[in-house]
Amino acid sequence: MQDFTITPTRRSFLRGSAAVAGAGILSASPFRKTWAAAFPERNIQILIPTGEGGGADRDARMFSTVWRKYLNTNFEYSYYPGAAGQVGYEFYAAKSEPDCYNLLFGNLGPEIIMQAMQKPKAKLGKDFIYFCQTTDETMCVFVGKNSKIKTIEQLVDEAKKRVVTVATSRLPHPASIGVLALGEATGAKFQLVPFGGGNPSAMAAITGEVDCCTLPITNAIQLDKEVLILTVFSKKNVFGEMADNAPPVNDVFGTKIPELSSSRGFAIHVKAIETYPDRFKTIEESVKKAALDPEYADLVEKAGMPRSFVRYGGREETVAFAEEMLALAEKYGSLLAAKKK
Amino acid sequence: MELSADTVLELFLHSLSLWWVIVPAIVVGIIMGAIPGFAAHNTIIILLPLTLMVPVEVALTFMVALYCATHLGGGIPAILMNIPGTGGAAATTLDGHEMAKQGKAQQALVLAFAASTLGGLITSIVTLFALPVLSLVGYYVHSVEMVVIMLFGLTLIAVIAAEDTVKGLIAGFFGLMLGAMGADHVYAAPRGTFGLLELFDGVPLIPALIGLFAISEAFVMIEQETIVSSKGQDRAQRASWADTFEGLRIAAANWWHIVWTSFIGLLVGVLPGAGASIGAFVAYQQSRFFSKEPEKYGTGYAKGVLAPEAANNGVTSGTLVPLLAIGIPGGSTAAVMMIVLQFHGVPFGPRLFVESPLLAFGVIMSMVVAYIFMILTILPMARYLAKVTVIPTRLLAPMIVAFTLVGAFVPRSFVFDLGVAVAFGVIGYIARKTGYHVAAILIGVILGPLVEQSYIRALRISLGDPLVLFSSTLGNVLWVMLVLSLAMPYILNWLRRRKAAQAAS
Repeated sequence: MQDFTITPTRRSFLRGSAAVAGAGILSASPFRKTWAAAFPERNIQILIPTGEGGGADRDARMFSTVWRKYLNTNFEYSYYPGAAGQVGYEFYAAKSEPDCYNLLFGNLGPEIIMQAMQKPKAKLGKDFIYFCQTTDETMCVFVGKNSKIKTIEQLVDEAKKRVVTVATSRLPHPASIGVLALGEATGAKFQLVPFGGGNPSAMAAITGEVDCCTLPITNAIQLDKEVLILTVFSKKNVFGEMADNAPPVNDVFGTKIPELSSSRGFAIHVKAIETYPDRFKTIEESVKKAALDPEYADLVEKAGMPRSFVRYGGREETVAFAEEMLALAEKYGSLLAAKKK
Repeated sequence: MELSADTVLELFLHSLSLWWVIVPAIVVGIIMGAIPGFAAHNTIIILLPLTLMVPVEVALTFMVALYCATHLGGGIPAILMNIPGTGGAAATTLDGHEMAKQGKAQQALVLAFAASTLGGLITSIVTLFALPVLSLVGYYVHSVEMVVIMLFGLTLIAVIAAEDTVKGLIAGFFGLMLGAMGADHVYAAPRGTFGLLELFDGVPLIPALIGLFAISEAFVMIEQETIVSSKGQDRAQRASWADTFEGLRIAAANWWHIVWTSFIGLLVGVLPGAGASIGAFVAYQQSRFFSKEPEKYGTGYAKGVLAPEAANNGVTSGTLVPLLAIGIPGGSTAAVMMIVLQFHGVPFGPRLFVESPLLAFGVIMSMVVAYIFMILTILPMARYLAKVTVIPTRLLAPMIVAFTLVGAFVPRSFVFDLGVAVAFGVIGYIARKTGYHVAAILIGVILGPLVEQSYIRALRISLGDPLVLFSSTLGNVLWVMLVLSLAMPYILNWLRRRKAAQAAS
């Protein structure tokens, strides 16, 4: 049998020590990234600027189940709700390391409007950018199943006679803009009542506390027979029967209300893209693969949402969406702030 | 689906077969509940990836058992160290810790365990059979009614203030002022935040709770040898099974008290947005109101432990009702459960009962089984846990500070929250030394923002008419009950004095 024991000598000891020390120095040096193993070496942190258990949390977890295959790592989540998402964004920009290991998953619609309304220190485009969207859904107006109102025309007629109350998740929201724009175009009077989340808003409509509710359409589709969808803020109702065949708002009133939707997607520090372009490339490519993977659409469908909810958008498309949303917020900002500019 | 006796038995046996999930969940839940800062939902979130990998029924059983156990665990430090593990156990400190100081920690723990498990068991069984009826509660309770329900909780300040009205009210008002900090609920404009991002979401509740109760208590603790007072030393030292049985006897004698206070918890739990803190505060306040011996509350009175503990576990069953019946989660834990249901492609709301009825009823049945296991697991532990009160405070106090500061940091990972905990610790210490009640401050911090949110919503719905608060029948009934709750003790006192004067003359 071959003897594998090694007799230590002074020279071998010095050689071994030098090798260990060298490895240690290299691992701590600025050249480390040249020597580093393939990205990612550890879990990716995902910050969600809304509460746990909400739509963003659900979507992020569904997406990362598929993304894991392409990025070969795990994901950890943290939640920073508050001030319409401002707390999460400020925390992300100021307190998390711009190293591509920290991403933000948010609602592009309302949270970009928040940028325009609340002017946080963390600036879109300067401190962070959205680099992809994974889903996209239109806004809608719905009533509880016991409501006397059955069509959007009836709702607007009612709102011309009296102020109609509308539950909304929060004021800076594309759905809120839609309702206010509808009021402005038709002379109907709507009072928005923010309930601080999709679930309590829908509950207010179902129980009849308010006349109707405006939210992203997934909320209403999932509530199925509990609600009746009256209209959608898009060119076409692609959800058909699932969305009660509700007509697009402009088709009914001949108005020119812009299409209003909310996308969910990932944002990253601008500095992270500049400092670690290779890492960012890995993220961007793997996100795309995951978003286009049929398994993701299957998961979405399994969770009770329409497959058309899945809509991948790359960096350019997402940035364009964000800019459109900012312009919309500027246009309707005075209505949301309840004061004229 | 008909819930026949056969189905109930089948569900029960099936839930029982999942003991291998329930028992670890109970152990984890009790430990997490006992550490301030760790609540059911953040524990479940940490373990969520694990729960997404197992079959949905196993995942839900695990989460439900953990959730129920957390509320039981929250009462343990509340009694032993005057530190509520969760907001729902804050009211338990009022009498529970008083009992511990008298050397009756074991008895107080048994009372809390009995009330928690029985309250939870009863409300789970009721929920199982009365789910359609209970789901209607949410239809009648709107922002106006929520304002009055939360005011019921706030009136506990008045109960606490009974010993010293001015100090009690000052403490409560101070809490309300702190609770008003943060972004406003309509335009998200910051108020009283001093430009600090960390305060935009209001005063963080867990660090405030930890500071007011845990850190200030640690400061007070080091001024004495042990938690238990010198009078109670003998009793605390000889903790034995006799005390456990005595606790069980008292709980059994007050079974009706447990039943109706757990129902308060159940009803509060059904309301989306309300929670264990409100349930426990309202139950304590109502328990005192209907008591023939209201003056005994706050002095180590058994019913003062039974009421909040039964209620905060009653809340657990109630929270699941809106999720199961309508598809809208009643609280953060139910919201996380919704993710699991969605992930497994299980429809929730009314469709759940059509497409997966056994799963829907099974969730509640697993609660029943979890409570049965909890009784068996936790009761024997009371005598050992009670020994904490005789540990020298020079050892206990630093451990409390270290553990609870970790708890203050965990929910938001803000270093700022450590400062908040310490600042509230100083406030709490000053309050204790000057005869102000920290519970009154905490009630203001917890309930103030919730009252404000509901009030603002009601005002917006009524287009700014404050009379909206008196616009609903149910709301008006609640208002009358509220006024009676406040006035009755004075009226009864007056009647007693008058009767005594008549008898004397």
